[in-house]
Amino acid sequence: MSELFETFLNPAVMGESAGLLLRGLVVTVELSLLVVPAGLALGACVAVAQALAPPWLERVVSLGVDLVRAFPPLVLLVLVVHGLPFAGIELPALVGVAVALTLNTASYYGEILRAGIAGVSAGQWEAARSSGLGTTSILRFVILPQGVRKVLPDLVGNTLEAVKLTALASVVALPDLLRMARIAQGVHFNPSPLILAAALYLALLWPLARFVRRLGASKAAPDFARSRR
Amino acid sequence: MEIFFDREALALAWPAVRSGIAVTLQLALASIAAGVALGFALAVARALGGRWLRFATPAIVAYADAFRAIPPLVLLVVIYFAAPFAGLELSGFLASFAALVLVLGASAEEIFWAGITAVDRGQWEAALSTGLSRRTTLFRVILPQAVLLTVPPLTNRAIATGKNTALASVVAVPEVLNQATSIQAQTASPAPLLLAAGVYVALFLPLVRIGRWLETRAPTGGPAPAEGPP
Amino acid sequence: MTDRIAPGPVLEFEGVGKSFGGIRALHGVDLAVREGELVALIGPSGSGKSTLLRCANRLAEPDVGTVRFEGREAPRGGAALARVRRRMGMVFQAFNLYPHLTALENVALAPRRAAGRSARGARRTAVEALERVGLGDRLDARPDQLSGGQQQRVAIARALALSPRILLLDEPTSALDPELVGSVLGVIRSLADDGVAMLIATHELAFAREAADRIVFLDEGRMVEAGPPEEILERPRTERLRTFLKRL
Ligand SMILES: Nc1ncnc2c1ncn2[C@@H]1O[C@H](COP(=O)(O)OP(=O)(O)OP(=O)(O)O)[C@@H](O)[C@H]1O
Ligand SMILES: [Mg+2]
Repeated sequence: MSELFETFLNPAVMGESAGLLLRGLVVTVELSLLVVPAGLALGACVAVAQALAPPWLERVVSLGVDLVRAFPPLVLLVLVVHGLPFAGIELPALVGVAVALTLNTASYYGEILRAGIAGVSAGQWEAARSSGLGTTSILRFVILPQGVRKVLPDLVGNTLEAVKLTALASVVALPDLLRMARIAQGVHFNPSPLILAAALYLALLWPLARFVRRLGASKAAPDFARSRR
Repeated sequence: MEIFFDREALALAWPAVRSGIAVTLQLALASIAAGVALGFALAVARALGGRWLRFATPAIVAYADAFRAIPPLVLLVVIYFAAPFAGLELSGFLASFAALVLVLGASAEEIFWAGITAVDRGQWEAALSTGLSRRTTLFRVILPQAVLLTVPPLTNRAIATGKNTALASVVAVPEVLNQATSIQAQTASPAPLLLAAGVYVALFLPLVRIGRWLETRAPTGGPAPAEGPP
Repeated sequence: MTDRIAPGPVLEFEGVGKSFGGIRALHGVDLAVREGELVALIGPSGSGKSTLLRCANRLAEPDVGTVRFEGREAPRGGAALARVRRRMGMVFQAFNLYPHLTALENVALAPRRAAGRSARGARRTAVEALERVGLGDRLDARPDQLSGGQQQRVAIARALALSPRILLLDEPTSALDPELVGSVLGVIRSLADDGVAMLIATHELAFAREAADRIVFLDEGRMVEAGPPEEILERPRTERLRTFLKRL
């Protein structure tokens, strides 16, 4: 038992690698703060374009979105980071990673927002138009606020996914939390940094996952599907 | 332009990528089958309650939350690089399989559970009032109605699992991405990567389209439709 | 077997109380339903009628008091409770038919899977029950292909299929269009004539007057008055019942 403890939760190793891991955590948070707003903004553009576009254009956009979705995020990432230099485009690693992850996560944000906009009744458009509002104002002040509220659980859920995605950055040598944990593990030849990193990810994301559950759990569970009494 | 479609590099890459497709498919199908089965078993356990399972419900919920919170790659790295220290040497394939199953199992459990709770409670009451056991009620009355609701989200989670097989490249499983990057290193050409990208699009674009189609024709959330299956 | 059970109440509530959170839904209810008797439960919305019915087969577990079925305290769970439930039929306001099954399958499910009859035997039982409610010609219809009145008759057939000692009916006609109420009440009346004991929550006072042996008036979870229909409906003793009757 104590042997397992020494191996997986070694206090000395954890203490020594804590600084490294914290620096990694900062990169993970920075990356998230880049990718989430950028993904939301791009997704909103896609959703609005789809709402306003003629049907044929809407179909083209949705095919494009699905094309991005067909790529595993890691493949998209490798393609952007290792592929673009061959086309003469040299991006700093952080930017390349952010671009790839933003593309991926925007394809989901866009779809969620599109569904939210589509869920607002046509009467709202008519009412707003009849009061003399222009299309942009209608979207901004009438449709989007309602649409966003409808799909809020999905938006938060996708934000969780977006932050999780940032761990992929470690594959292309960006010094994020996972990457730093791997380095520390190699230095100490001990898995404790990995466990610590996993714990940090959980500490960061478990509350978000619980929040998603709370938002989604508007329907009460059938109580006697559980209790026997 | 030629550099992107370098014939020589493509010719070199194709046999490797082709063998990678087989590995990708094996890993994907095995993980999806096992992950859905795990999620189903947990949701059923949660629904049937009972003496020894009552305390398991919080455990199932915690499992579902934790494995939806942790990035799959982090889980994979922990399993692959930490397990040997416990004397458990897992191949890259097995470690990837374990990580993907644990992650999919968490989502699938939530999806099945949401389906079960979406069925009107009057269905439970009616069945129990005729003396059916909870088990029979679940399997004969509730699940046939719930499963229909679970198909679109399960399809999407299954697709995500299929795509996540690319993570296995990190632990040297010779699947599509891994094969492409190693040939790329040999040839110094992006062609193998583009080939791999094409393979993923060919594999997953149709599935993504199907997932979208399923989603648009299914009722999203809410109580189960009053009428039977179409 | 049944002949040797001493004649007496089929179903008996003794001091039954039940709260939901802070709300007292039932408050010391004593009530017995004898063999072949039809007892009508009346009372304002929220007075506890549904809760009392659900305590009978323990879909709701009483906080205090006892519920006896055929003279014995009903078991609290497991296979023993399921056996008791097989002998009490329940009919719901919202029908609660299984939407994915045909009328026949709805009715045959419990005989087959709860009572363990053969597929053939369960089918025969189900056909008989559906014929008894006048639906012998709609065996293969799905619930969504039936009218509300027909759906509720399928639900009655489902409750009848295991030859219960008592039927519990919770406002069986209040979700129906007025023109469909008659067919369902007709079925219930004919069951009463056959001597099936029933405990029925209802707003149909005309039906209660004509078909019930006894009427029980519930208010705020308490049994306020009970007696033969003429007494309850024509000579109410309490102010509360008088107000209730006037408002209808
Ligand atoms: N599952 C429940 N959870 C919380 N409160 C409940 C529940 N079931 C019933 N109640 C409450 O208990 C009280 C009695 O309800 P009940 O449904 O038994 O009344 P009722 O006489 O059947 O009314 P109605 O004529 O409207 O059907 C009400 O105040 C109701 O709000
Ligand atoms: Mg009621």
